[in-house]
Amino acid sequence: MENKRLFLFKGLMWIVAGLAAAVAILRFALGLGTATALSDTTPWGLWIGFDVMGGVALAAGGFVMAAVVHIFHRDRYHAAARPAILTAFLGYGAVAVGLLFDLGLPWNIWHAMVYWNIRSPLFEVAWCVMLYLTVLALEVTPTILERTPFQKTYRFFTRLALPIMVLGIMLSTLHQSSLGTMLLIMPFRVHPLWYSHLLPELFFVSAICLGISMVMLESCVTTWLYKRKPEMEMLSGLARLASVALAFYSLFKLGDLLRQGKLSMVFDGSWPGNLFIVEILMSALVPMVLFAIPAVRRSFRGIWILAACSVLGFVLDRINASGLSQVWATRQFYFPAWTEFSISLGIVAACVLVFLFIEEHFPVDPHGLEAVEAARHTQAKALPTFAPFVQVWLGEGWRKAAKVYSFLFVAALAFGLTVAPKTEPAVKTHAVRAVGAGILSMGPGPRRVYFDHKKHQDEAGGTKSCALCHHLHQKGDVGTPCVICHKNMFLASDIFNHDAHIAALHGNASCAKCHGEGQPLQVTPSKKCSECHTKDLMALNPVVTTFDKKWAPSYKDAMHKMCIPCHVTKAADRKVNLPNLGRCGACHDGGTASEKAYKTEVPVPQEEEGRT
Amino acid sequence: MIENPCILTDVTKCIGCEQCVTACKKINGLPEGDAPPRPGNSVDGLDAGRWTTVIRQPDNHFVRKQCRHCAEPACVSVCPVGAMQKTPEGPVIYDKGICMGCRYCMLACPYGIPHYEWDSANPSVRKCILCYPSLKSGKIDKPACVGACPTNATIFGTRDEMLAEAHRRLAAEPSKYVQKIWGESQVGGTSVLYLADISLDFLAWGDGKELTDQPLPKLTWAALKPVPFEFLGMGLVMGSLYWIIERRKKLMAEKAAGVAGGGDDHGK
Repeated sequence: MENKRLFLFKGLMWIVAGLAAAVAILRFALGLGTATALSDTTPWGLWIGFDVMGGVALAAGGFVMAAVVHIFHRDRYHAAARPAILTAFLGYGAVAVGLLFDLGLPWNIWHAMVYWNIRSPLFEVAWCVMLYLTVLALEVTPTILERTPFQKTYRFFTRLALPIMVLGIMLSTLHQSSLGTMLLIMPFRVHPLWYSHLLPELFFVSAICLGISMVMLESCVTTWLYKRKPEMEMLSGLARLASVALAFYSLFKLGDLLRQGKLSMVFDGSWPGNLFIVEILMSALVPMVLFAIPAVRRSFRGIWILAACSVLGFVLDRINASGLSQVWATRQFYFPAWTEFSISLGIVAACVLVFLFIEEHFPVDPHGLEAVEAARHTQAKALPTFAPFVQVWLGEGWRKAAKVYSFLFVAALAFGLTVAPKTEPAVKTHAVRAVGAGILSMGPGPRRVYFDHKKHQDEAGGTKSCALCHHLHQKGDVGTPCVICHKNMFLASDIFNHDAHIAALHGNASCAKCHGEGQPLQVTPSKKCSECHTKDLMALNPVVTTFDKKWAPSYKDAMHKMCIPCHVTKAADRKVNLPNLGRCGACHDGGTASEKAYKTEVPVPQEEEGRT
Repeated sequence: MIENPCILTDVTKCIGCEQCVTACKKINGLPEGDAPPRPGNSVDGLDAGRWTTVIRQPDNHFVRKQCRHCAEPACVSVCPVGAMQKTPEGPVIYDKGICMGCRYCMLACPYGIPHYEWDSANPSVRKCILCYPSLKSGKIDKPACVGACPTNATIFGTRDEMLAEAHRRLAAEPSKYVQKIWGESQVGGTSVLYLADISLDFLAWGDGKELTDQPLPKLTWAALKPVPFEFLGMGLVMGSLYWIIERRKKLMAEKAAGVAGGGDDHGK
């Protein structure tokens, strides 16, 4: 009898992988920008948070089970060791593949081997992952070789197993904790609830917990897929182990918060606080308490639900620490694009397919393999029955699988390529956002003036001339209408703040400092502004001459005296050939038709009209 | 080229004309227009094609943001391959030939300076390099942005000179400035200093609340230094545990064999 559940599950995996393949093409052809929602404020997203941070942690089952079975001799978990190590191998392979997608220049990934920077935690992680992947390959080799004719090689590898296992545990310790070290340098990004100087240790302990949960979940999934009898003795033992490990982790994590005096932040009702509560409940507290109850440990459903809950919780922890909690600092929202999810899920699907293939053909789980082979055998021996059309068309066994799966894969690939986002044509904007280019309309209501900024800038000497008009280094001159300071059109010295001067010059005793000893307190016998403000006012320049006066000019005077002399000169200049330039209508609304003639040469953009 | 080059920007003098931006784009061959906006990218106006920018603050203050060229840069310390480099003279530069594109530097920078060419299939990290190649070759004697400033709001010299000038200005006009030089000591000191009449804490993530005078690379180094010992220690612990447990099992088996006169060798 064919296992329909398994067939559908594999089909689904092939669809997911096909969609991911389409996104992969897009990502390498068009770049990260098109394929992800990443940005300069969120340069790491789902691919680092889930594929790398989560992936490495998920694969922690490998070293945990290696230690439990081969160092501590807990033989009852022997059945879990091989699947755990195979998962770890595939998991690290997935991390490496995920990195190829996330790296901007993946073809330079080998640089980590050649160019060294021992001060970078990522350098250490890269080396450990490379070495550990090699170690895991060596650990998996006996499984592959066991039932092959290469028995000599098989025995060689089994003899090598113990030192290799120890080396694997050593390497895992390092990089599981180094993933935490990577976040140590960003106290300004990682939210205080996740930031701690003990992050490396926390990551290591949580990896052990997650490893145990993952081994349980994996065993549950294969049991369900292949409709096997659950290995309850092993599972409940692991659940008990998980309970202890989670209790240690919870104490460590909460104790660390207490030590830093951050425990109250958990309950302040903020978004990170609530996220933290969800995470710690899912990952540790709920599974810890329930796994401690013997009745739960005896129930297959209880175990798979709690293991899944814990696994999700710890993956959430990695995503929180490496990304989600950083939203707090950047205040920039990031939600992964569907293309990012697609790649992440596609890598997982590919791993699952490879895992199932190895599970079905090599003695990962010896009993399981026998069952699969027995089923295969009976199917081959079975008498031919009446074959419906579909069976004739698709064939049987692997032929059918190959046809259906490859069709699903290609269909998903084609669908993905159709719906994948394409790059949009780049929209160029002005480089300089200071009002540099257009024609401005400035001034109030009917006295509005049209002003060609660029033309004036060119006339006055280009880029060095800004300070000639944007005088006093008055902040915001580029965006501030002149009337902000020159409030009264006709009143001279209206920008002169008398009170501010008295205050700055220490009260009423200071009158004489400007008005002169024994002189009447009037405008006329007083100092010129420029006598005191030698630097703050604009440098002497040919355009603005009005500050050589005893008072600041009125708005009207300021504008007129800056503009008119030059306009008149230019109007008389035959080479310029703008005879009406010196007349009122050249700048102002209204005026005679001939005066308007100047303005019509420079069309006023519509959107500028309303911006007075 | 001078040792320890440094830029001092006086916010009270900036009129926001952005001539520095134009000059920077020109000398570094950056695209004239700005890149198309990308959600989450432009918090401060910097992007891969805009290495310095002028940030408008309330009450018409203008603050020019650029790479700070830290004395002990976090971006250099985290780069696994050493593509970000602190030159002997001081500016922090980037070597695309080495980079793998992990973007760790972008996260590690407390000021959010390195930016990425998201729309390229062959992207680089881009940031201000203090015109290092041109200064080194003697083509220019000060960075392009400084040369372009019409109000001398941003000036250039050695770090000691700039610090002395900043202290002189603070002392000369105490009421004009907030009595602080931004970049003097934060994260171990930077080579771009600021004087201002407003707080410039907003230049760093989280308003710099989590930043101290301690250089950031020290935080990771404290955890990385004992790594070789942890590695060997773990091996030692695991090895000896194995030996002890194995030996105990063997002894127990022998004992059982002695008592029962030949038990099973379960442990093997």
